[in-house]
Amino acid sequence: MATEQDSSYAQGFGQVSRTAGLIFRYLLLAATMFGIVTLAVLLVYVANDAIQPLTADAGWHLTFFLTLVLPTILVGGALYRRNREALKLGGMVVGALLVSLMFSGGVAIVFIDIIPPLTGFSYAVGLVVAVAGTVLLTKYERQIPFTARVAATGLLFFLSLFGVPGYFHSIPELVQKAPVVPTDWIILTLVLGGVTALVVGQYIARVREDNKAGLAAGASALVLTALGAIVGPLVGIDANALVVVTAVSFVPTAAYAGGSVITREELKPGLVFAATVIVGALVGAVAVDALGFAGPQAWTDWQFLTSSHSGSAENAGLYPAIGGSILLMVTVAALSFPLGVGAAVYLEEYAPDNRFTRFIDVNISNLAGVPSVVYGLLGLGVFVTYLGQATGTVLIGGATLALLILPIVIISSREAIRSVPNDMRQASYGMGATRWQTVRNVVLPEAFPGILTGTILALGRAIGETAPLIMIGAPNVLFNLPTELSSKVSAMPLQVYAWSSLFASEDFYTKAVPAGVVVLLAVLLAMNSIAIVLRNKYESET
Amino acid sequence: MTGTNDPTNDEMLVETDVSDGLSAAESSVTDDADIVIESEDINVWYGDDHALTDISMEIPENSVTAMIGPSGCGKSTFLRCINRMNDLIDVARVEGNLTLRGKNVYDDDVDPVALRRRVGMVFQKPNPFPKSIYDNVVYGLKIQGIDGDYDQIVEESLKRAALWDEVKDRLHESGLDLSGGQQQRLCIARAIATDPEVLLMDEPASALDPVATSQIEDLVEELAEDYTVVIVTHNMQQAARISDKTAVFLTGGELVEFDDTQKIFENPESQRVEDYITGKFG
Repeated sequence: MATEQDSSYAQGFGQVSRTAGLIFRYLLLAATMFGIVTLAVLLVYVANDAIQPLTADAGWHLTFFLTLVLPTILVGGALYRRNREALKLGGMVVGALLVSLMFSGGVAIVFIDIIPPLTGFSYAVGLVVAVAGTVLLTKYERQIPFTARVAATGLLFFLSLFGVPGYFHSIPELVQKAPVVPTDWIILTLVLGGVTALVVGQYIARVREDNKAGLAAGASALVLTALGAIVGPLVGIDANALVVVTAVSFVPTAAYAGGSVITREELKPGLVFAATVIVGALVGAVAVDALGFAGPQAWTDWQFLTSSHSGSAENAGLYPAIGGSILLMVTVAALSFPLGVGAAVYLEEYAPDNRFTRFIDVNISNLAGVPSVVYGLLGLGVFVTYLGQATGTVLIGGATLALLILPIVIISSREAIRSVPNDMRQASYGMGATRWQTVRNVVLPEAFPGILTGTILALGRAIGETAPLIMIGAPNVLFNLPTELSSKVSAMPLQVYAWSSLFASEDFYTKAVPAGVVVLLAVLLAMNSIAIVLRNKYESET
Repeated sequence: MTGTNDPTNDEMLVETDVSDGLSAAESSVTDDADIVIESEDINVWYGDDHALTDISMEIPENSVTAMIGPSGCGKSTFLRCINRMNDLIDVARVEGNLTLRGKNVYDDDVDPVALRRRVGMVFQKPNPFPKSIYDNVVYGLKIQGIDGDYDQIVEESLKRAALWDEVKDRLHESGLDLSGGQQQRLCIARAIATDPEVLLMDEPASALDPVATSQIEDLVEELAEDYTVVIVTHNMQQAARISDKTAVFLTGGELVEFDDTQKIFENPESQRVEDYITGKFG
C-alpha cells in the first residue's frame, strides 16, 4: 500500500472521476431542452400548415432571397463583426416596426370598427377637458386639502364625461350633437396622431435636451400623419387605416430610431441594417408582383384576418374573435390592474405580520394554481346566476378572466414592490413622510416597470384561456364584432376550439385551425416581447 | 476591530491623529449651552434581545455630538430612538424618556411623522431617490407641504451641503448619476432643505473614500453652527476631529462614558474606554 501511494504522489495529483457528474449534466440539459424542442416541432408543423411556404413559385423564393435574405445576412454579418450594439438597435427597430404594425391593427379595429370615430372623439374631448382641469388643480396642490382635491377631480371627470341628465349636458353629448363635425380621418389624426405627437415631442425634447426640437418633432409627426391621410386615397389606400398605421406604427418607430441615434452617435450603422430589411421586403414585394411570381397560398392571409366564420374553411376568418379578444383584454386589464396592484401594495407595505396576513399569503399562492375551469364556474355562478347578467358578454367574460389572473398580478406586483430597496423607504420616512406619501412618491414609481411587466405577462395568460369563456356561455361562433360591454363576445382560442370540435372536418383541421393558432401565437409573442423589452430596459438602468 | 495586542503603526496613527484633531475642534462647547435632547434610562429590546441598557445623556444645542463604539454596541439604535425610526421595526420596543426641547417624544400624543419632520436624518449608505437632483432636494418640502421659493431653497441647501458648484448645471439629471460622496452630500442637502432642528447622521462617511470623507467632515463642522448634529461613527479619529462631545458605547448596549471630546480622548475616566480608544480593545 505504502509504495503504491508513494508512486502516485510521484506521478502528480492523480485523477478524480467525473463520470457521474457528466451524465447528470447532460441529463439536465436534455430535461431543459425537452419541452422547448417538442413545442418548436409542433409550431413548425402548424406554421407550415398555416403559411404553406412550399406552394410559392421558386421564382418568388429566389426573388425574396436576393432582395431580402442575402442583403440582411451580408449587412448583419458585417455589423456583427464590427458593431454589435448597432446591430442590436437595427434589430430592435425592425422588431418595433413589426410589433407596432400588429398593435396598429388592433387599434384600427377598436377605433374604427368597434367605437365609431365620432364617439371616440367626443369622449376624448371630454377626457381632455377633465385632465386639463385636474392639471389646473394640481397647481394649487399645497393650498387645497387632499380629500377636497380628490373629490373635485372625481366630480370634474364625472361631469365632463357623463353630465347630469336633464340639467347639464356632458361634453361627449355636446360634441356628438354639434352641427358641424369633422370627418373620420381628421378625427383620427387629431386623437391618435395628437397623442403620438405629444409622446414623440416629449421624447425628442428629452434626448436632445432642447424643447424647440421636441416641438418641431411633435409638429412634424402630426403633419406627417395628416399628409398620409390626404395622399393615401390618391394611391388607393384607405385614409382612416393609413392614419392609424402612421400614428401608431411608423411615427413611433421612426422616433425611437432617431432618438437612439441622437443619444448614441456610434449606433448609426444599425439604421442601415433596419433599412436593408425594410427596403428589401418592399422591393421584393414589388418585384414578385411585376415578374408575376405567385406567393404561397397561406391560410393566414388578409381574408382570414378580416372576415368572420363561414361554413367552408376557405372563407372562414377570425375577425370578430380578434376584436373580441382585444375587448376582453382591455376589460381584463382595467379590472385586474387596480385590484391586483392595490392588493400587492397592501400586503407589502401595510399588512402587519400576523396570522390573518399569512393566511391570505398562502391562499393567494394557492389561487394562482386553481384550474381555469373553476374560475369559469365562479364567473357563471356569481355574474350570471347570482347577479343576473346575460351569459357570454364582454363584461362578464372580462371579469371572469380578471379573477383568473388576479393572483398572478398580485404575486408579480408584490415581487416588484419587494425589490424596491429598503434604503429608499427609510430615506422617505426619515424625511417625515407618511406611509401613503412613501408608497406614492417612492415605492410605486420604482416598482412600476416590474408591475407592468408582470401584468402584461398575466394578460398573455388570459388571452389564451378557453375554458372560462365556455363556462360563462360565450358563443362559439360570432359573426359580428362586439361593440359594447354587454355584447356577446368570442375570443381567438374559443374560435379555434370551435373549429376543431364543432366544425371538425379535414378542411378546418388543416386550414383554419393552424391559421388561427398562428395569429394567436403571434399576438402572444408580441405581448411577451413588449414585457421582456420593458424588463431588460429597466433592469439595465438600475 | 480585532488585532489588539501588537503595538503596530495603526495605534501610532490613532494617537497622532487624535492630538491633531483636538487642536482643530478646540472645544467650542460652552457649559451653559441649551440642552436640546435629553435621554433618561432608555432601554431598547429587539424581541428578546436587550439592545440598549439605561442610556442617559444630554445633547447640547448647535454642537456636534459623536457616538463611538464597536459594531453592534447599539449606537445606531440609540440614534434611531431620537426620531423614532425604531417604530418601523415590528419587534422593537423602547422604554424610558427621551425629550426633545422638554417634550417626551415617546408620549402618546406625539406623532412620529411630525417628530421626524423636526429631526432630519442622513444614513450610512447614500440613498438619494431615483429622481432628479432638484426633486431630491424639494422632496421634504413637498411632502411636508412647505411653501416657498423652491428654486431658492434648492440653491441654498445645495450650497450649504457644498454641492452647488458641482451640480448647478445639471439639477434636472438623476441623483443616482452622482458619485458616492456627491450622493451623500445630496442626502445632506435633502435633509437640511426642510430646516430641521436636529440632524442625525448614521455613519455618513463609512461608505466613502478618504477625500469624500474629509469633505463630509468639513461639512459637519460647518453645519454645527446652525444645527444640533448627532453623529454615529466607528472611526475614532473622525469623532476626535469633528465632535464637541463624545459618547462611548461598548458591547452590551451600555453607555460607558459621555463627556467633552477632549476629555474622552485625553483622560477618560473608565479604563475600558481608554483601552478602546488606544486600540487595546475593540
